[in-house]
This record gives sequence, C-alpha cells and structure tokens, in this order.
Amino acid sequence: MLRGDPTRIGVTRARLLAILCAMGCVLWSLALANALEGVLEVRSAYVNVDKGVFLLYARIEYPQSPAISDALRDGITLTFDLDARVERDRHLWFNAGIVDLTLRRELNYHAVSDRYVVRDTKSGDQTSFATLDEALGYLGHVDAWPILVEPQLDGGNYNISVRAGVRRGHLPAAMRAILFWTDDWNRVSEWYTWSLPV
Amino acid sequence: MRARSPRTLRFLAVGQVLVWSAIGLGAFLLLAKSVQNSAEFGRLQLWILLVDACAVIVLCVLLARQLWRLVRDYRAHVPGSRLTARTVAIFGVLVIAPLLIVYASSLEFINQGIDSWFKVEVKQGLNDALGLSRAALDLRMREYSERTVALAESLATGDATEIAARLEKERRATSALEIALFGAHGRILAASQENAFETLPSQPPPDLVRQVEQRVPYVSLEPQADGRYLIRTAAALPRTGASREARFVVALYPVPAQLAALSEAVQDSYSEYGNLVAMREPLKYSFRLTLTLVVLLSMLAAIYLAIYSAQRLVRPVQDLIEGTRAVGKGDFATRLPLPSRDEMGFLVHSFNDMTKRLRRARAEATASQQAVERERTRLAIILARLSTGVLAIDRSMTVRTANESAGAILGTDLSSATGRALPELASGNERLGQFVAALAVRFAAGREEWREQLDLDGSSGRRTLMCACTPLPGEDAGAGFVIVFDDITALLQAQRDAAWGEVARRLAHEIKNPLTPIQLSAERLRRRLLAGMSERDAEILERGTRTIVQQVETMQQMVNAFSEYARAPEMQITPFSLNQLVCEVADLYRSQDPRAQIRLDLDPRLESIEADRGRVRQILNNLVTNALEALDGVGSPRLEISTRLEAGGEAAYAVLSVCDNGPGFQRELLGRVFDPYVTSKPKGTGLGLAIVKKIIEEHGGRIDADNRPEGGARVRVVLPVKDSTRSATGAARERRDQLRRERA
Repeated sequence: MLRGDPTRIGVTRARLLAILCAMGCVLWSLALANALEGVLEVRSAYVNVDKGVFLLYARIEYPQSPAISDALRDGITLTFDLDARVERDRHLWFNAGIVDLTLRRELNYHAVSDRYVVRDTKSGDQTSFATLDEALGYLGHVDAWPILVEPQLDGGNYNISVRAGVRRGHLPAAMRAILFWTDDWNRVSEWYTWSLPV
Repeated sequence: MRARSPRTLRFLAVGQVLVWSAIGLGAFLLLAKSVQNSAEFGRLQLWILLVDACAVIVLCVLLARQLWRLVRDYRAHVPGSRLTARTVAIFGVLVIAPLLIVYASSLEFINQGIDSWFKVEVKQGLNDALGLSRAALDLRMREYSERTVALAESLATGDATEIAARLEKERRATSALEIALFGAHGRILAASQENAFETLPSQPPPDLVRQVEQRVPYVSLEPQADGRYLIRTAAALPRTGASREARFVVALYPVPAQLAALSEAVQDSYSEYGNLVAMREPLKYSFRLTLTLVVLLSMLAAIYLAIYSAQRLVRPVQDLIEGTRAVGKGDFATRLPLPSRDEMGFLVHSFNDMTKRLRRARAEATASQQAVERERTRLAIILARLSTGVLAIDRSMTVRTANESAGAILGTDLSSATGRALPELASGNERLGQFVAALAVRFAAGREEWREQLDLDGSSGRRTLMCACTPLPGEDAGAGFVIVFDDITALLQAQRDAAWGEVARRLAHEIKNPLTPIQLSAERLRRRLLAGMSERDAEILERGTRTIVQQVETMQQMVNAFSEYARAPEMQITPFSLNQLVCEVADLYRSQDPRAQIRLDLDPRLESIEADRGRVRQILNNLVTNALEALDGVGSPRLEISTRLEAGGEAAYAVLSVCDNGPGFQRELLGRVFDPYVTSKPKGTGLGLAIVKKIIEEHGGRIDADNRPEGGARVRVVLPVKDSTRSATGAARERRDQLRRERA
C-alpha cells in the first residue's frame, strides 16, 4: 500500500484545520452581529430622596440607526428595559440583593397614524410621537422612578446599579426559545454603578 | 490493554446514563422555565447555552475517545476491533443515512413552509387595508382641520366671553372632546370640554406648538391605549390690532368607534405581519441551526451508542478469543465472566465448562503421567541395580532400552545406545558381536522365545551367559524382544573350583594313604626277593619295583600338589610393604636368571597392605615363574611388574599386574587358565595358577588374565589393602572355615 509523505500530510491537515477554523470564526461573528448597532449606555444616573422615597433619575442613550427605523416601520416592536439593582455589601460573601426592578417600555410604529408610540407595559399608559428621535428622547429620560424606600435600608454600604437594554419585543416565549441562537435584536448596556448615599 | 471488569463497565454505563439524564433534565427545566416566563429567558439563556455546550462537549469528548481507542485497537490488530469497527460502520450507515434524508427533507420543508407564510398577496392586502384606513381617517382629519382653521379665523375678533361661547357652540356642533384657546407659553385662554369639571384641557405637544407658531395648521391622529383614536387639530388665530398675542386654538375630535376598531385591527395585523416578516430569516436560520444541531447530536449520539453497543457485543467475543489463546498456551484456569443469559452467555458458559473439563482431564493426565514416571523410575532403578543384564530390542535389533549390567556383561557402554542398531554397536566389540550373531541366528530361525547358554570368547577370556529371550507384548506383532542374561562364568568357575577342591581333598585323603604301603611293599619285595632270584629275574624285579617306586613317588608329588591346592592353612595376616616384596622377588629372579629383564613400576602411595606375606610371596613367585617360562624362546624378553593403589567405594585395593611380551595365553584356554590341570606347558601339574587364584580368593581378592593388545599376557591381581574391608571376606572366609572344618 502506498503511503504519502507524513510531513506533507501533516501540513495539509494543518492547512485544512486552519481553513475550517477561519470559516467557523466568520460564521460565528456573523451569527453574533447585532442589528441594534450604535451606542447603548447609561450616560448618567442619580437618586433623590423625597419623603423617604428614593427616586431614580437617569439619562440613557439608545442606539439610532436606519435599521432600527426600518424595522419599526416594518412593524417590529422594540422593548426598552431599564434594570435597577440595589445591593448591600457583604464581606467574604456575595452582596445581598435589596431591590431588583425593571422599568419596561415598548416602542412601535403606528402605521395608521404614522406616529411612534411609547407604552409603559406595567401601567398601560402610552404616548405617541411624530418622530423616532422624539420617541427615543422620551425613552432616554427617566425621571423620579421610585425604586426604594428608607425602611428597606438597615445600615451598611449600598450600591445601586442601572443597566439599559433593548430587544425585540412582542415575541412569543416559544419563539424566543427557538430564536435562541440567532436573535441579534437583543442588547444590554454595561452596569452603571455608584454608591447609594444613605 | 488492561481489560475492565463487568462491574466497572456496568458502573460506567450507569454513570453515563445518569450524567446524560441530568444534562437533559437540566436543559428541559431551563427551557420550560424560560418558556413559562419570557423575562427569565434573558437570565437563563446563558445557562441553557452552557448546558447545551457541556452536552455537546461531553459527547464529542466521549465520542473522540471512543473513536481514538477504536482506531488504535484496529491498527494494533486487537482481537475484536475489526468486528467492532464493522459493527460501528454498519450501525453508523443505518443511522446516518436516514438521518441525512430526514435532514435534507426537513431543510426543504422549513424553507418552503416559512416562505409560504409571507406571500406577496398578504403583504399587498395589508398595505391596501392600511391605505384604506389612512384614506378614511385622512378625510376626517382634513375636515376637522378645516373646521379648526375656520374656527380660528372666527375667533380673531371678540372678547373672552364671546370666544368661550363660540368654542362651546363649536364643540357641541362637531362633537369634539375639547376645544381650547391657548395663548403665549401655553396659557389657556378659553376652553370647552365635555366634562369641564373633571380635567383641564390637555397640554399641546411641542411639535404642535412649533408648527402653529409658524402659522401652519396642525393635525395629527393620536392612537390611545384603550384602542380609541383622537384627531388633534390646531390653527393659529390671525393677529389683529386688538391683540398682538400669538394665540392658537386646539381641538380634539374622537374618531368613530367602528372606524377606530377597523383601523386598530388593520394596525394590529400590520404590526404582527411586520414582526413575522422580520423573523422570517432568523426563524429559518434558527430552525436550520436547531435542526442541524439536533441531527448532529443525534448522529454523534448514534455513533457513540453504536460504538458502545458494539463494544458490549464484542466484549464476550474478545473474552472468548483471549480465553482460547490462554487455553492454547495451556492455561486451563481461565474463566470468562458471564455477560448475560442470552446465546452469548450460553457460549461463554460452555467455554467455561470446557476449560473446567480440560483442567480436570489435564490434572488426571498429569497424575497418570507422574505415576508412569514413578513406575518408570522405579523400574529403571531396579534394572540399574540388577546384576542381570536386561536388553530390549525391536525386530530390527534396534536397542529400545538396556540397563548398566547388560553393558557391563557385554563389555560395552549401552547408556547411550537407545535407538541405535545393535549390530552397529557391535563393531569393534568381539564379545558383543558374538552375542548379536547368536541372537540373529535364533531370530532368523523364527525362534522368539528361548533360554540357552551362550559362550562368548573375547580378549579377556570366555564368558558364559545364561540368556533368555521373550517377545514383548504389544498391539503389533513387531513390538520386539526382551533379552535377559546373566554372566554365569564366575558361577561355573566356582562350581569347577568346588569340584576340583573335592577331587584334591579325596586324592589327598583316599590316594595318598595307599601310596606309602605300595611304595614300602615294593621296596620290601625287592629286598626280600632280590637276593634269591636269578640275575634275569632280579633285573626284572629290580626294574619293576623301581618303576613302582618311581610312579608312587610321582603320584606322591601329584597328591602333594593336590594337597597343597586343597589345604586351607591358617593365614598369618600382617601389614607389609607390597612394593618391597615385589622388589625382593624381582631381585631374587634377577640373580637366578640374568637373562630376565624385569622392570618394576611401583606406586609409592601403596605403603602397606594387610595380608599373609608368605602366601603373597608365593603368588608372586608363581606368576613370575609362569611369565619367565612363557618368555623362553622370545627374542627380547620383558617382564613388567607394576603396583597401583585404587579406590573402590569405601575400600582401597592394591592392584598387582604382571605383564610379559610372550606369546600370551592360548585363546581357547583363556577362560580356564585358573582351572587345575589347564596348562600349555609340557611340564608342570597345571596347578600353579589354580593355587594362585585360590590364595587370592582366600585374601578376598580377585584375579583375571588376558592378552595385551600389543602382545603378551597380563595377569592382574586385586587385593584389599585392609583385611577388615575386604569385599569378598565373607564368602572367602566362610569357604576357608568350611574347608578347615572338613579337614578337622
């Protein structure tokens, strides 16, 4: 039985492996490419205490892109979440969670009225805007969101963290499970954390 | 490769099942939790991903390990590896082929099925419905906008009370929800509402203010959370001289419920369709990816299960192969683990039963072989210790076995003669040649069982064998013969010695006594009658009596010789130097006969022996005399006397050899030279060597005579050095004592 040169076979195998790895990386990067391109971050955030209630004020920059505008005009609903988390520091152990809240609002394009509608999923209140910029500006301003009351604090150091997220909403849960691998309409910002003045 | 025990294999199998069950259950619980609460999905998706990745990695690692081991065993030609590879290949083809077909069909179904959801007709219908709704609403919006513009122009003049009345009149006429007049900075100048006591007029949105400040009429359709639609219109009031303040009127009109519901339905459909369209490619990609992963996992799992099943199937076969090899190498203690109660288990059970039987049979065979070996060893010992020669040969006279005594009797070494032809061994051995010739003659005559006496002549004399031949028992007729023979030369010699001893004793006793009266009577007759007889008669008498006297004297000498032979005097055993005695005798004969060339070769280790010095001197005298007589007429006569000290067992022996270069013993007399009256000399009684032999035997020694290969005779005398260690002491002394008793 004829046999090839082992060195040459090894080089061929190495090249083939390199090509396969490169193809895998390209496919993986394509799969991870996010449709929500642009800046997504919490620009600033602070809390005010009013009569024992901690009110959160935040300024968030959401991504703006033609893809988002086109998607909204095609009928896609976007969900904007603002996660707030208050934790108490603990030594030699995980921090204790005090508050974990989410302010969830939905943005969609109302084709009949040609307006952008922002709706609070909890209260059901909604506001319409003539332009997407106005709607995103409205979403980027969170004022006086009550997140904590003083009786929940019993001393110690507390940290408050805020994170913004955008994803494609109005998807059935089963569908979201199916789109587990391929849903690139889902982004979250880094946590914006600061110490809570007590 | 170290084999795993069935218990370990079962433990690994159960462990793998538990691991896979845990992974599957975990993935299912995470998926169920995320489906029940979509909010959990984002938090759980990392765990779902990790669980799935772990499952894939574990499966890939296990499969790679199994495949690597399979390839390694295949290359190393491990028993069962080819069967495993073949089974895995068959299983793989049987599983992968249908999976690929299902995979291809499913891909096509996914592509076509999802594409069918988004037909162009549906999109077009939705767009048409949307356009229709917009047209219907635009008509109302335009109508309300124009009324608002007209109202604003009508409100340009008039005081506040009048304006409020107009607003109320207009609201009632148009069924508006509210109509308000705003001044600078959103200040409400006048308003009319359905329920004026509950709420204030809604604040105009910024874009409305910006637009009317530019004196452009504003109209917008505002969807409400409860599904209603509101049309908001605004128009700036013309600026008059009475008032320079920028004022605008804002009206809020409801859209009829039916129209609103239809528009909302169109909006919902549009939105849902848009969501679906947006999900088309991701959905297809996700389905394809999911299907690919499922198929890939199924294939990997199928291949892994195929390898696992093949290994479990082949394991008993490998055990059987290894067990067979072990049995082939003689290891009958091999016991294979029972894999199951199926046909393979029955086969393994049969194998174990077979090895058990083989082990038992081998133990029995070993015991039998050991018994045979013991019997053979015992027989060999008996044969070796036998003084009787035993020789087994086949019909071609090939030696099958022979004991030491056979070789000693036949004068050859038969220890390595097994398998060799007897005639071949007989070359160069005269005695064995005669023995073989005697056997051949009898076998040629068809005699297979006989018992006869054979006389074999050799250089050391004649040997008489009592030989018995018996055919060996066996299945085939040519099994061979066993020949048993005894050297009865010594026995015959002893019988002859005993006979001659009796003759001598009788001669001494019966003949010697009458000789003296005969001699005396003859002398008396001569004395009494000689004087009174005539001369002629006297001469006759004289001659007759002289003859009688001479013959009587001759007979007297003969009887004396016999008496000497028969007498058994008390020996005077003393230690003396044999070498010195030899020197004395040699010097004596040298002085008597200058012609005698006597050479001595004496062993200095032989310091002294315990014997009757006088009788040993008699032995030496007889032997030297015989030798010198034999050397008469020889050109250069040589006589050599040598002594040696030899060890035989625990006793030491003195060996005295007397050799000459004379004509040697006559061949026919060689076996009987020590018998009385056996002599080749014209003179002599023939009792010299007989007496020598008798003296030696009385000392517990032995004597033999033969002819040297280079010519001449050789007489070899062996005497024990110590009297107490003489081997023949018992027989000799017994015989000596018996003679002594008889004489007494």
